[in-house]
Amino acid sequence: MNLRVVGASLIVSLKIFYREKTTMFFTTTFPILLILVFGTIFVDQDKVNFDLCLQDLDRTETSAEIAKALALTGKFRIIEVDPAVDAVRYAGENKVNLVLVIPKDYEKSYVRYLQFDDPTAFATIEYVYDPSSSSVDKKIEILELVFARLNQGLSGKPQFARTEEISIHTRKYRFIDFFIPGIIAMAVMTASLFGTVNVNTELRQKGIIRKLSTTPITHTDWILSNILYQFVLAAISTTAMLLVSYAVFDVTLLINAWLPLFIVLDVFTFVGIGMILTRVAKEAQSAAAAANAVIFPMMFLSGSFVPLEMMPRYLQTFARALPLYYVNEGLRAAMVFHDNMTALIYSAIIGTFAVMVFILGITAARWEGSK
Amino acid sequence: MTTKVEHAIEVEHLTKRYGNLVAVSDISFNVMQGEVFAFLGPNGAGKTTTVEIADTISKPTSGKVRILGMDVTKGKRDIVPRIGVLPQGFSSFDRITVRETMQYYSRLFRRRNADIDGLLDLVNLNDKAKEQYMKLSGGLKQRLGIAIALVNDPEIVFLDEPTTGLDPRARREVWEVLLGLKKKGTTVFLTTHYIEEAELLADTVAIISKGKIIAMDSPVQLIERNADYLVLTMQSVDERAFEVLVKMGFDLDRNNRKNINVRVERAEDIRKILNSMKDAGASLPGIDVRRPSLEQVFLKLTGEALEDTYEGKGAE
Repeated sequence: MNLRVVGASLIVSLKIFYREKTTMFFTTTFPILLILVFGTIFVDQDKVNFDLCLQDLDRTETSAEIAKALALTGKFRIIEVDPAVDAVRYAGENKVNLVLVIPKDYEKSYVRYLQFDDPTAFATIEYVYDPSSSSVDKKIEILELVFARLNQGLSGKPQFARTEEISIHTRKYRFIDFFIPGIIAMAVMTASLFGTVNVNTELRQKGIIRKLSTTPITHTDWILSNILYQFVLAAISTTAMLLVSYAVFDVTLLINAWLPLFIVLDVFTFVGIGMILTRVAKEAQSAAAAANAVIFPMMFLSGSFVPLEMMPRYLQTFARALPLYYVNEGLRAAMVFHDNMTALIYSAIIGTFAVMVFILGITAARWEGSK
Repeated sequence: MTTKVEHAIEVEHLTKRYGNLVAVSDISFNVMQGEVFAFLGPNGAGKTTTVEIADTISKPTSGKVRILGMDVTKGKRDIVPRIGVLPQGFSSFDRITVRETMQYYSRLFRRRNADIDGLLDLVNLNDKAKEQYMKLSGGLKQRLGIAIALVNDPEIVFLDEPTTGLDPRARREVWEVLLGLKKKGTTVFLTTHYIEEAELLADTVAIISKGKIIAMDSPVQLIERNADYLVLTMQSVDERAFEVLVKMGFDLDRNNRKNINVRVERAEDIRKILNSMKDAGASLPGIDVRRPSLEQVFLKLTGEALEDTYEGKGAE
């Protein structure tokens, strides 16, 4: 191995990176955009605010109390619907996914129930809703809680079964804190895999690898320069993502030695997989398709965007077989929960996988001279 | 330490198979130090297969190839620093400039003091030193490829189809560079399917067809040994002259509306033809007698014409 040769190849790769603006954009800016978009959406889920259309057919002081109670939850911005219109038609025409309808004679029933102890008195509040809407379930869930409290208050008895939240963490975490390590792992994976597959397939197709094989650069020198290049890219994109996360979302992530370790393992794993794919794919187009076939399941099933608990059990089992899962969870253990033992276990798992896949990749990747 | 050997390249009973396909079949030849050796043949003849074994890109199925006395299957590490290679369809990094590319390859060869300006001068690329590779024309790219092949001051230069795909002007520019190398005494192993290229540049031409060498000598000797006839060219002849020749039973090649090439076996046949023309009162403004060209020798030996000659229109 000759470090000067490795250094010369690294410099060439970095110059190409700097001069290819599209590659630069997708390596650095794209993950930042993802952080900004998802971070803005999920920055503080407690402050989520829904629009709620309310049609008060009773129009009394008692029925108005419902609107006040709903507004007080902080979850809804109330939009009044004219009692004269048909609620179903209104929802359809205005693309509204839920209209809450307070019935006429609500106050009368309320008085009968509360003052005359009439057990047959009740009021039916209607949910006129669009079941195909994804957010309507959440709205109804909150409304059910509000009405359960109202009914419980009307019974005049204190709550029997009460609940209390005890977090296993000493700090309160936000979604963005969990999200950033996943995005870092995903961005490094994408750059390492696509970088290895695309660059090497293109160079092979153009005959540059064949030309290089007639010079003193060895296969090991070439792979090492590729790895170092991916480390540099990973360092640049990770630094950019963390800076944006701290500056825009004020995240509270711990940065210690685990971060570079997991980045290194991430790079080794996916450069290794990339070398195997480069051997399989003969042309740049098939190489890109093969890389996508690896990247997409990793991206969506390994917990980078969606928590594993939200997936069916068989998919959770599948996710635990994906290498990116261990990078995601390892980074979260280290950066979010400060859990060194979990980080150690996950680094050992992904480290073993990285070594295996990298050796396989070196064996599979063929320097032209050996054909 | 380098050792001086008489033969720069020695090839003995070389065979290369790809599955059932025999690309090169039991060929042997030597290339002397300082010689320009051309492998001439059509596409698929086995030229690139042979040169890629000789320049260590691939390995032989059987047989021996020695470069500067070293076996290519065992001595790649020692051979590579002493040779320069322009592979077929040479390409380089799109966004790297000419000078940066030269610097990169000189670093690969650990030649920090390589005379990059001198090499760029040699291939007439100094004014393009700051251009990125992707912005160069086909001819300039090939010239850069040749300059890269020379960056380590090699003892042997392998040039695989150096002018394929170039227009006539760019081809002539590359030939100028190669003539410069010849003048310097560099050993050059060249593959080509351009007869003019082989005739102009090579000291020795090996004609290869279907994986076998079918003739090998200097261009002059190849013609001498294989041309047992003369070609009489009659310029601007009229229809009457054409009829006379047909009546006499000669093998004719009418290469355009006015000129006729006549293959004649004996010198006295020429006199007979001219007398018959005179008797018939045919017009005969100009005649030319010469030995056949290397192209005609190639055609005779291989039974197939080369697809893309200098006059040919397209590049492959």
